[in-house]
Amino acid sequence: MLYSPKRTLKRLERPASDRPEGAWSALGFGEKLSLVAVAATVLIALVGPALMPYSAIIPAGEQLLPPLSPGHVLGTDVLGMDMATRLVAGMQRSLFAALVVTLISAAIGTLIGVVAGFRGGWIDTALMRFTDLFLAFPAMIIAMAIAAAIGQSLGSAMIGIVVVWWPLYARLVRGEVRRVAALPHVQAARVAGVTGWRLLWRHVVPAVMPTVVVTASLDIGAVVMTLAALSFIGLGTPAPAPELGRMASDGMKYFLNAWWIAVLPSLAIGLLAFVFNYAGDALRVVLRRTGV
Amino acid sequence: MTVLVFISKRLGSLLVVLFFLTLLVFTLGKVADSDPVRTYVGVNASAESVEAAREELGLDNPIPVQFGSFVVGAVQGDFGISLSSKRPIADELATRLPATLELAGWALALTVVIGVSLASLYSRPGRLGAFMRFVFFSAASAPSFLIAMLSVLVFYKWLGGALPAAGRSSYGPYDDATGFYVLDGMLHGSPTYTWDAIQHLLLPAFAAAVGSGVALARVLADGIASSLRSPWARTARALGEREGTVLRRHALRNASSPALSLLAVQAGFMVSSLVVVEQVFSWNGLGSYLSGAIGVGDFPAIAAVCLILGAVYVILNTLVDVALAAVDPRVRLS
Repeated sequence: MLYSPKRTLKRLERPASDRPEGAWSALGFGEKLSLVAVAATVLIALVGPALMPYSAIIPAGEQLLPPLSPGHVLGTDVLGMDMATRLVAGMQRSLFAALVVTLISAAIGTLIGVVAGFRGGWIDTALMRFTDLFLAFPAMIIAMAIAAAIGQSLGSAMIGIVVVWWPLYARLVRGEVRRVAALPHVQAARVAGVTGWRLLWRHVVPAVMPTVVVTASLDIGAVVMTLAALSFIGLGTPAPAPELGRMASDGMKYFLNAWWIAVLPSLAIGLLAFVFNYAGDALRVVLRRTGV
Repeated sequence: MTVLVFISKRLGSLLVVLFFLTLLVFTLGKVADSDPVRTYVGVNASAESVEAAREELGLDNPIPVQFGSFVVGAVQGDFGISLSSKRPIADELATRLPATLELAGWALALTVVIGVSLASLYSRPGRLGAFMRFVFFSAASAPSFLIAMLSVLVFYKWLGGALPAAGRSSYGPYDDATGFYVLDGMLHGSPTYTWDAIQHLLLPAFAAAVGSGVALARVLADGIASSLRSPWARTARALGEREGTVLRRHALRNASSPALSLLAVQAGFMVSSLVVVEQVFSWNGLGSYLSGAIGVGDFPAIAAVCLILGAVYVILNTLVDVALAAVDPRVRLS
């Protein structure tokens, strides 16, 4: 400890409450930028719709105004609805749906993975067979079939994606649980007489959670894009609901003459996915570098 | 011996997965919220015609019997009658499957081209590398319909129709066609027809390939980077191999195994981007058929397309696994 660089010593001496600041300064420029971009995007999606002067589902002006028209920064669509309003509302919808899908998939997968990895034996074998079966299915196609069977709405698309997304977490968590269960601190707890659920929740699960959280944050961008693709082929809520994928596919009929109707919603999806993919990757790099 | 054991094991699990895939799709058809008979005869039909349609569609049989005939039919390529067009689904699929497969083949080839040629750019140090990673991230985050629309705007609208942006051909199919237009053109010895078909293929294949190509480039770049740091790469350098030879003969080959398994996964994702891209380019394949069927609630047609695309995906994965096992002993021993 004595010969470690000055900064390390300082950081060790610093009280725990200062740690977040230290973590922030450990980030590179691009990584900071990506986190700021995520924060900005989430903020826009959260409060944006409330700030807009128009309604997202009621025509508010002339039809097919191009972007930069007075009163309509991003123009209007075929029915004269304000594009900027609809885009912000659509981003809110997409973001909310993607967060819910990721959260539920991660929760289901973690539960199954923990049970399988911790209990072992025939429960493990049965659960993992089941998981592997779902992993072998073509995810997108199954999601389409499920969403199509339930009916055209955002909710059914979300259910379809959850059904194909949880197995990834189950596999991951099961492996992590088995790894963690062999670590010294868990062995020590076992020796000290801790067993069952207490051992699981106090000593195993906390060590597994960081992996799950990182994977989930990396996944949000992919879920946004998958939802958009389902919505694009008609498995989302039909118009006038401000759903980005649906707006893009509906706008395609006119897009050679009015490109903005179809291209702007697609760009909004790309922006959401990009911001989350980039920040997720930055998070991964930082964690690898700091060795957490 | 081990390879044969591995292959038979994989074939066994392939059959299991195909069975459960069929079961899942069938079950979804049973729980679907729209009534197939009503979709078939229309809302104003009399009670007698509803009953007759129920019999005609085989829906009066017990569920296990229905599943049995569904499986037997699917194995023989008979997927029943479309609820909207009232014609056998198999007829429609016969013309559309080659269209999708042709597009998928070209898109996969373009994926490999994009992936291999961009892999070395990805791991460049310094400003250029950072900029390239930014560009790659943008490309990987762009939905395939955005890329499709932008390429239509650029190559069709702004460049004055440099490339066609809709359909498969300016001429229509030959009478004794295989359904693969490029192949048809070559079989009939018509360079004009072949070239026209290729031109129609370029934009959709590109739009479907960008996302998976960039993903492939990332995996290849990671693999190459770690291979170049490995002891055997150092040994090769110590023996006097040139850096280019080390890269090509040692690093690239070792990085190609994870890239190959990624390619199989990407083929699955590509199916979804094909469904989307086909819609943008009015490509008469399975994808546009699927979205049409979704629009009118024709679940037997949806089930048939999902089953075919799913089977293609599962079989492709098995083939890749077997190929990997043949090349890499570690796979078949694990």
